[in-house]
Amino acid sequence: MKATKLLVIIGTLLVLGLIIYFPGRKLAREHVNYETAVQNHPLSCISCHYYTQRTGFISKLINEDYLSPFNLTVSKDGRRLFVIAQDANELLVVDADKKNVLHKIKVGIHPHSVILSENGKIAYVSNQWSDNVSVIDLASSKVVDSLKTGNGPAGLALSADGNFLYAVNAFGSNLSVINLKTKEEINRFSTGNNPTGIALSKVSKELYVTSRRQNPVAYGEPLVSDFTVVNDSTQKLKKYISMNNAYLMENVAFTPSGDLALTALTRPKNLVPAIQVERGWMMNDGIGIIEQKPNGKVVQLLIDEPNSYYSSLFDVVISPNGKKAFLSSSGVDYISVVNLDSIRNIIANTSPQMLKRLANNLGTSSRFVTKRIKTGAVPKGLALSPNGKLLYVAEMLDDKIGVINTETLEKIYTIDLGGPKRITIARKGRRLFNNAAHTFQNQYACYTCHPDNHEDGLEYNFASMGRNIVNVISLREIADTPPYKWSGKNQSVYKQDGMRFSKFLTRTESFNYEDLDALVAYIKTGIKLPPNLMYNKDGKLTESQLRGKEIFNRSVDNLGKVIPKKSRCVTCHPSPYYTNLKLEDVGTLSKTDDSILFDTPNLNNIYASAPYLHDGRAKTLEEIWTVYGGDDNHGRVNDLSKIELNDLVNYLKSLRGSNYEKSSLKTQHASF
Amino acid sequence: MEGMIVATQVPKNLQNANYYNGNSWRYFSKSKIVLLNPNRVNKPVKVLTNNFYAACTPQISFDGKSMLFTAQKSKNDLWQIWEMNLENLKAHQITTSSKNCIDPTYLPENRFVFSEIDSDSISKKGIPLFTGNLDGTNISQITYNPTINFASTVLKDGRILTISSEIYPKEKEAMFMVLRPDGTKEELFYKGAKGSVIKSRGFETTKGKVVFIESSSNKKTGDIMSIKYNRPLHSSVNLTQEIKGDFYTVSQLKGDTLLVSYRESKSNAYALYEFNSKTKKLGKLIYKNDTLNLLDAILIKKHNRPRNLPSEVNLKSKTGLIVCQNINFLDSPDKISKAVKIEILGMDASLGKVTVEKDGSFYLKVPANTPFQIQTIDNKEQVVNGPSSWLYLRPSERRGCIGCHENREQVPENRQPLSVRRAPILLPEQIKEVNKKRMH
Repeated sequence: MKATKLLVIIGTLLVLGLIIYFPGRKLAREHVNYETAVQNHPLSCISCHYYTQRTGFISKLINEDYLSPFNLTVSKDGRRLFVIAQDANELLVVDADKKNVLHKIKVGIHPHSVILSENGKIAYVSNQWSDNVSVIDLASSKVVDSLKTGNGPAGLALSADGNFLYAVNAFGSNLSVINLKTKEEINRFSTGNNPTGIALSKVSKELYVTSRRQNPVAYGEPLVSDFTVVNDSTQKLKKYISMNNAYLMENVAFTPSGDLALTALTRPKNLVPAIQVERGWMMNDGIGIIEQKPNGKVVQLLIDEPNSYYSSLFDVVISPNGKKAFLSSSGVDYISVVNLDSIRNIIANTSPQMLKRLANNLGTSSRFVTKRIKTGAVPKGLALSPNGKLLYVAEMLDDKIGVINTETLEKIYTIDLGGPKRITIARKGRRLFNNAAHTFQNQYACYTCHPDNHEDGLEYNFASMGRNIVNVISLREIADTPPYKWSGKNQSVYKQDGMRFSKFLTRTESFNYEDLDALVAYIKTGIKLPPNLMYNKDGKLTESQLRGKEIFNRSVDNLGKVIPKKSRCVTCHPSPYYTNLKLEDVGTLSKTDDSILFDTPNLNNIYASAPYLHDGRAKTLEEIWTVYGGDDNHGRVNDLSKIELNDLVNYLKSLRGSNYEKSSLKTQHASF
Repeated sequence: MEGMIVATQVPKNLQNANYYNGNSWRYFSKSKIVLLNPNRVNKPVKVLTNNFYAACTPQISFDGKSMLFTAQKSKNDLWQIWEMNLENLKAHQITTSSKNCIDPTYLPENRFVFSEIDSDSISKKGIPLFTGNLDGTNISQITYNPTINFASTVLKDGRILTISSEIYPKEKEAMFMVLRPDGTKEELFYKGAKGSVIKSRGFETTKGKVVFIESSSNKKTGDIMSIKYNRPLHSSVNLTQEIKGDFYTVSQLKGDTLLVSYRESKSNAYALYEFNSKTKKLGKLIYKNDTLNLLDAILIKKHNRPRNLPSEVNLKSKTGLIVCQNINFLDSPDKISKAVKIEILGMDASLGKVTVEKDGSFYLKVPANTPFQIQTIDNKEQVVNGPSSWLYLRPSERRGCIGCHENREQVPENRQPLSVRRAPILLPEQIKEVNKKRMH
């Protein structure tokens, strides 16, 4: 009897199991098909529901805290390396001979660069997300002071006399001059847009500051990014030098003789319809060369080759004899070795018209690139030993320092910085995000148009030629703000980066599902929103911002009339992401757009995302209403005074990530 | 079979290679495919295609387990494409065309590309490339210009590299053209010196080079040429300049070692040798037979699959789009061109003239799968440049060029062509002048 009962129970459970299994599997299949927009993605729950966990136990289980070496410098005796571990918020002191980490010094948030004082006793570390510079006593390996900077300090340089520290403020687009005796910022210069790199010519005593974003212009106008030149002796702004058709100038270096300044740069083709990748049609990589003499030439040469591109140039260093330059291409994991005499020869013996052409010539690199040296994953900062015999490479996503013999031009060993050995799914995704191998002939990586996981400030013509111009969208808070594309056609990151992405953008084999899982895991979990230290440091809004907040949330206009719900800012832009995740018509359709609605953008840190609107037509937030929003389709604004509009804009600039707003909200601390 | 070599074996006295229809060059009467061990010098070979009247030009699959080849089952059969399982040596026919199908090579995703010869129409239509599934389905033409296309291979980047020569209105010298497997984005990859002849299939090595056989205008015998994938138009090196004799085919054996068909003089048969591309010296003899030539030798080996490129072709579309940045942009800034119009030339007639924009740009919508040439014209109706090589666009293909006769290593200036601010000009429907009714 008991056996019969048992059989009945088992049989019932089996039947119930089958009843649940088949419809459940069907539902799961439909769900996965919807999310991935393909019919054959493996029916695996962990792809989306495990790898993309951002908080809690599972997140801790599947992720690791990596170091991510970003920039580095070498002591004068060559025995110590000082390495920025960006994701660990540390400065690592490395014994270059014994190849081990001696000290880990906690610095500010998201450190960017490190330099040493002339006597080698002090290290200065810029903390990009803390708006300060850590002053470190290297004898005790302790942070002994903190110097306040502008917003987003990146590159650092000391004045020739060692009395002043220059800090490049990447987010504020200016340069802080700090008196090291008084520890006060004594001056601040406006620079080009989004500067990061800085170098001092020991000959001319001039400082060159790079910029990564173009000067704001309407789509179709020539793209120009500026170098800022400051006289170190007089501490006066000297001039701006235009670098035409180039951006993402990350770093700059001078030759020891001071005859040339070199910068790594990218030459985008955003004004050319994106109809092919072949023949350098989308993105090129090169060096900018500025002759240091009266009426010196400003020249650009590509380091790419026909059929082969060296994407995401980052750093440039020059050998002590001024004969070689080394450039890191973090999109392809290569160092390019440049013969500077060949460069000098090209500049001296080529007509101005021909030099202009060479800026777009893929074959010229064969005249000056003498070697390509393979590195670990995503080479960023470079540093030469004092005698110039060794080149140290920050292999960011390997947590290692690659060491290259500059005579044999071979990588001779690596220094393991002691990061986690396990490569997590998200870390793999981050490597894919940064690597250009998933674009035809390595022409660009996801990172190229989304530097710092943000956007590059450009508009592109991806769809019909001359039509549907689109402003690149930031990836910050992307996990929580579907749908994707301005048209909102993509319901998930999976679809956004899937088959059509490969067909129309990367134009090579699409990601396999394993890689796509990893990429999505990184994009949905690993992208951090910087704090909004410029406009909302601590959550206390200014009076103007508070007035602007009232305008943002208002339901009645200045005339006492009720504002229709659809015309209230807060209706389409509710917190915490300030988007209703829907498509809307705000009257911005142009005659070159297909007749569509546009995805409502999220607004946190919107101050850092100029230009604005779907096609980037508004150079500033103000222009959204003063130039393009006069018909009240994009919120009721016509009743506002100029001061009130300023208040509204000030409030918008204060918006910051929800993780900074709600202390109770758990944030993902793991790095990838 | 891994590590063995397959090759085409043909009687010593070869007919002269016919570069027009491929006879005795891309396919050989009474040929056999043989198997041999590269480490056992001059040991007897094993014939793999005894059941065929003729079989030649073997190509190995990416997993090293199968072989594509061209064959005639019986004497008067048409040449068709076959595949052999190298584990059980069973062969199955892939194409069943009413025309000769030759020169197959593997594409990713169980697909292949080959040349189809219609002897009656070569003079006007050339020899187009076709692709299809390895089960013989979905066979379709991918090239549509009047060119002869032979000896395709697939580059690691996923594109097809083919020996191509224009045939209409007169035959021109062959060059390597490269195109995507859907036939789009066809462009020049390599062109030899005047009078040179490309004689063999290109082979992309693991060292970033493409090696092939070429004869020069003053030396009719074949030399091994090497070009860099990264700079194919300006990197050719003759590896055998100092070697007397004649090379017929080349592939990679391992590292710097190539596998070559070579004969010292015309009185010898082509034998198989190793060749060191670094020292430029002929190496070990692998197989020699005084009465038989060994050609098209290739190592049986698992090798990396090329990229599987996505296709932009939409067969529902009947047109393609082409944009040019500036027709007056030439190969040197010193050269001045003052063209103001282009004329689109079809095979039989002019499709019309179009006035270009002030910046020299044009933007056209033309019938897909239809050959055309472009020539530039000045304001006195005189031809400035052209006609160009034959072009074609696949359905829904979008293609760009930066100028006319420009340096092939030049990339576009970052500038929006004025022409794309309007809708494309339709040809041949509106063929006389610039369409005044263009959109926006």
